[in-house]
Amino acid sequence: MKEDQKEIGTKLAQDAKDEGEGAFERIFWRILTELGWALGSIFLALLVAALIMIATGSNPLLAYSALLEGALSAPDLIFSWATPLILTGLSVALAFKAGLFNIGAEGQLYIGSMVATILGIYLFFPIIIHPFICLAIGTLCGAFWGMIPGLLKAYRGTHEVVSTMMLSFVAILLTEFLVSGPLREPGTPFPQTMTILPSAVLPNVFGSPVLHAGIFISIIAAIFIYFFLGRTVSGYEMRAVGQNPTAAEAAGINSKKLIVLSLVMSGALSGLAGAAEILGQYRRFIIGWSGGIGFDGITVAVLGLNNPFGVIFAAVFFGFLRAGAVAMQTLAGVPVEMVNIIQGLVVLFVAAPKIIKWLAKENVSYAKWIVKEPKNAIPLFLTAIIVLIGAFIGFGIGFANIRSDLVFTAQMLGIGILALWSFIAILMKRRGGFITALITSIAWIILAFLTVVFPKGTLTIPLTILGLIGVLLSLISSFLVLKKRVLIGGVS
Amino acid sequence: MQSSFLNPLVIIWFINTTLQFSTPLVLAALGGMFSERSGVVNIGLEGMMLMGAFMAVVGTWFSGNPWIGLLSAMVSGGILGLIHGLISVQLRGNQIVSGAGIILFASGFTSFMVYGIWGIRGITPSVTQLPRVTLPWLGKISPLIVLMFLMLPISWYVLYRTPFGLRLRAAGEDPSALDTAGVNVQTTRLIGVFLSGVLAALGGAHLSIGFGSRFVELMTGGRGFIALAALIFGNWNPLGVVLSGLFFGFLSSLQGSIDVLPEFSYLAPYVQFIAMIPYISVIVALGIIRRSIPPKSIGVPYIKEREG
Repeated sequence: MKEDQKEIGTKLAQDAKDEGEGAFERIFWRILTELGWALGSIFLALLVAALIMIATGSNPLLAYSALLEGALSAPDLIFSWATPLILTGLSVALAFKAGLFNIGAEGQLYIGSMVATILGIYLFFPIIIHPFICLAIGTLCGAFWGMIPGLLKAYRGTHEVVSTMMLSFVAILLTEFLVSGPLREPGTPFPQTMTILPSAVLPNVFGSPVLHAGIFISIIAAIFIYFFLGRTVSGYEMRAVGQNPTAAEAAGINSKKLIVLSLVMSGALSGLAGAAEILGQYRRFIIGWSGGIGFDGITVAVLGLNNPFGVIFAAVFFGFLRAGAVAMQTLAGVPVEMVNIIQGLVVLFVAAPKIIKWLAKENVSYAKWIVKEPKNAIPLFLTAIIVLIGAFIGFGIGFANIRSDLVFTAQMLGIGILALWSFIAILMKRRGGFITALITSIAWIILAFLTVVFPKGTLTIPLTILGLIGVLLSLISSFLVLKKRVLIGGVS
Repeated sequence: MQSSFLNPLVIIWFINTTLQFSTPLVLAALGGMFSERSGVVNIGLEGMMLMGAFMAVVGTWFSGNPWIGLLSAMVSGGILGLIHGLISVQLRGNQIVSGAGIILFASGFTSFMVYGIWGIRGITPSVTQLPRVTLPWLGKISPLIVLMFLMLPISWYVLYRTPFGLRLRAAGEDPSALDTAGVNVQTTRLIGVFLSGVLAALGGAHLSIGFGSRFVELMTGGRGFIALAALIFGNWNPLGVVLSGLFFGFLSSLQGSIDVLPEFSYLAPYVQFIAMIPYISVIVALGIIRRSIPPKSIGVPYIKEREG
């Protein structure tokens, strides 16, 4: 018990210290490493997804550039997708801060959206008050749906993973019953309710046809949760319970109350997500409208490392994928389901943050070195990864074009071989490896330039980005290796 | 209406469809039992079933032999199980997150590969079904239904009468005791998760090449979660799991009967409430009457104490 208390004490003290004076550098490094984990997982996921695409005969570069193009041409669509994801992500993240796993966000979302729909159809209120009432009561009903597993956990010891999941299905079936029975709009082939009254609609913002005022609600909610967790007594106690329930109990915190509170708040956020989506986006309840937004909340929270601002970042990233997916399908012929694969892979990679430490324990010298001297090792390691990605891309595109364009294939295969060679050189701790990496990266940029001259237009931007990142990283690593005399691979 | 229940044709129809519907549930739930008794939560059953269903069709399509399809389903499920095991046992990552990742990956991968292999979306062409076996009374049924009934004594025997079963249960109840006895906890758990993947994939394969003859996008439709419910309602032991799997299968066939048998069409408006029964019964069993007791160390990664 004493050990536990000490542990929780140091952890919370660490948090406090980070917010104190003169801690700028420490916070900076912590944010950088956390961002590094998140970006690294995205990177690895995109790499594996690219391999799957190559295996099925699609061109990953074309697909990714189409995705980029599609998403950037409709930035409002990105944020429109992100709006509910931020809220469901916050819902899962908040529960997780209290050490609880709310995987029933989907059901709480459906309850909130159904209640908002009913109130939007049958209540009469003036224009500004109406949506607020719908949102508030939808949120409350979501909170109620979260309270049941909270009470079961606190007073009956039922594991919340099971109870939230089961109640989620109950909620989905209940709304399904309502929408296909009593509330169904007559004469429609597909179960849906009537549209809500115009007075209840959440208006669109920035003149966009898809982005509604819910985005502000989401961002305000994220800021609120950030302050709640960091600046209030309940938030502090919630984190304490999450880190060590026995120690928190010993310190006089009523953990039962906090378990219920955290699941109530978690349910409220999911309910709000559903209500806002109905009032702003769909304007009626359509059977199965969410398509897994609640379930994706888990993904968002995981990638956002349960930090409210991280959640926004992650939600925007997934919104980005969704917004570009249709363009990817039409332009590159890669089905939209690729987005699910990427999402699943991101989660799997984030779920294993200890992979480097584990490799270090298994005496892999590079991993050992990264754990020991991260500041020197990470740029070098990243260079190796980017070079390897270049090799995959070179071989992939090369073989994909082998029938149509022999000169282009030869260029690609040539650069692929060069990249592979420099990767092996880096891995074998040769100093020349970084010079080769630099040459490879410059070759990528030249090739990108050539694609402008000879029409291979879609490849230009990704190849340039790859080349520029490669040049930057290999310059940093060469600088580290040559000037500071860092031993590649550390002392092993 | 009373007579319709006693009509022998209706009864036979019910027995048949109940067996069809409960086979995937029972197989996946028994798989989940091996994983959860060893202390690893496996909410990824849904993804493993989906992968099994898909790979069974892929294997059959390329080899022309449904048994090869069944084998490739088992292999793919086993691989997903090992990935879940690597993340949650070996790397001590979060088991729920890993399971969610498995579900997302499998649903994306299978839908994507239908397009990648056949160039069409949503549904594959028809492949050879598993050959039916003829049994007295029941007539021609899929061999996987027979396997379901065989799995009851087999898993009971493995779990309660072999040293491996004892180790598996110990890993879920008190891993440090198992460690003290000189058995590797992580390996034991990995085997448990591996078995769960194989069995769940067999359940999925029943949907695609046992009952039907093709793969449809997201064809498991939440059966992995009902299997999880059956596992909990069955109190994590083989007999309970099989019985609750059969019960939930019967509920599914009751839902199916509404479309098929005119005698039951009066139930149509309430079909969602029938579908709710498995989930509510789990909440009742676990939370209100507290009949179900999970393994003690479930969901907790085992960290060996440092030597010295």
